[in-house]
Amino acid sequence: MTPELVLFCALAALLELDTTYAFQLTFSRGIIAGPLFAILTGNWLAGIQVGVFTELLFSDINPLGSILPPSAVVCCAVSMALNSLGIELCFAFVWGVIAAFLFAQAEQYMRKRRVGVLPVWENKIMQRPDTIGRVIALELFTNLLINFALISSFVWISSSITLWLMPHMSIQSIMACRFAYMAVPWIGLASLIPEFRLKKR
Amino acid sequence: MTFKQHFTFFIRSFFLQTGWNYMKFQNLGFLFVMWPFLKGLYKNDKDALPSVLSRYLATFNTQPVMASFCFGALAKQEELITGAKTLPQFNEEFSQWISIKRGLTITTASIGDRLFWGTLKPFTLLLALFMWITLGIKVFEIQPEQLQPPLAYTFMACIMAFIAFNAIALLVKWQGIKIGYATDERACFGLTKFDWNRTIYNAKRIGIVLAVAMILFGFYNYLKDARASDLQFITRATIVVFFVCISFITRRLRIPNLYLYLAAVLVFNIACFF
Repeated sequence: MTPELVLFCALAALLELDTTYAFQLTFSRGIIAGPLFAILTGNWLAGIQVGVFTELLFSDINPLGSILPPSAVVCCAVSMALNSLGIELCFAFVWGVIAAFLFAQAEQYMRKRRVGVLPVWENKIMQRPDTIGRVIALELFTNLLINFALISSFVWISSSITLWLMPHMSIQSIMACRFAYMAVPWIGLASLIPEFRLKKR
Repeated sequence: MTFKQHFTFFIRSFFLQTGWNYMKFQNLGFLFVMWPFLKGLYKNDKDALPSVLSRYLATFNTQPVMASFCFGALAKQEELITGAKTLPQFNEEFSQWISIKRGLTITTASIGDRLFWGTLKPFTLLLALFMWITLGIKVFEIQPEQLQPPLAYTFMACIMAFIAFNAIALLVKWQGIKIGYATDERACFGLTKFDWNRTIYNAKRIGIVLAVAMILFGFYNYLKDARASDLQFITRATIVVFFVCISFITRRLRIPNLYLYLAAVLVFNIACFF
């Protein structure tokens, strides 16, 4: 992991907090996060494209109730990080999508685990209500660290595997990834129509 | 409600979802938002605090932007509880607080999810996409590193989408606290001040037109440089038509786009291998 990649993962961890835990000012949306990562890599068009593709691909899953959509920030971060290492975007995006899906599973697990800690927090707050601010700050900090650890692991594992695989990969496989990548915006755009459809007023 | 209290609610509401858990959802965040107000209200009645805190630490789950209506309405009701002169009045206000919390969280969640996640988010995505394509950025090309757009073009559309979403979200958040506090259950705590259903309905109607227009506009932009007899044109057109059709089918079958994409990677790899 180069210092640039560490910085990249730190930015991703920070942006990921915006998804659920703090602000929800849409910094974690694909179309915002993608170009923000592009500031670090310098490849603007890749940033826009990954951002748009990520948001279109995940547009059919909304965070309603306890539904947890795949993380757009993680998808953009992993794709852009791999792209900055010289890996073609169509291939990097596959890893990005897989990482986003796995991150959602990890997040779900963390939320379940938090149920175990909840009585401890509640007890503490009942005894000293002023500690609520500290509890919230601690939760945010813990989540930031977990996000950083998870995103760094995804970037490190995916980049190691891909860099090892690249010399052995056939041209057919790269072509296949390109075809699948070409399909992403159309899959997403077509799914926006039912998203906007209203059955009745 | 003073401006300082209003502002404190507003700032703290950005942390409503911190500590989200599967047992009581946003309960920690809810108490964090309400705590300065409660602290002021019960500063002379410390003995009542444990029962108040346990009420606020119970299950709370709603849409984070629309939650502001709940904060205002529940703060007002809390004042009525502390102002109760007799035990029956206290009991009445107390049970009213519980029913407001239960009813309002469900209603605001339903409106907020449809308005912000179901309408405004895809709507602003389409606006940004239109802007990028109009500025000549080839978003759908698969080798994007060839031509770099100017920095201003890159961020113009993101900033527009960001402002469009947040202008509405922050306005609702700010006003929701004030309106929720100022109105009562007869006005549905200010929710009836605005015709949410009509707004969502109209926005969705515009959205569906934009989505169809985006497919056609994107399709035209994607294919305009290739000649009709080219292999590139045929490949591109086939992929677009095939995946638009299959996406409709998978949506009906409730298969997420993510699985469709990963299946496409797998199927194309197998096909290219043979």
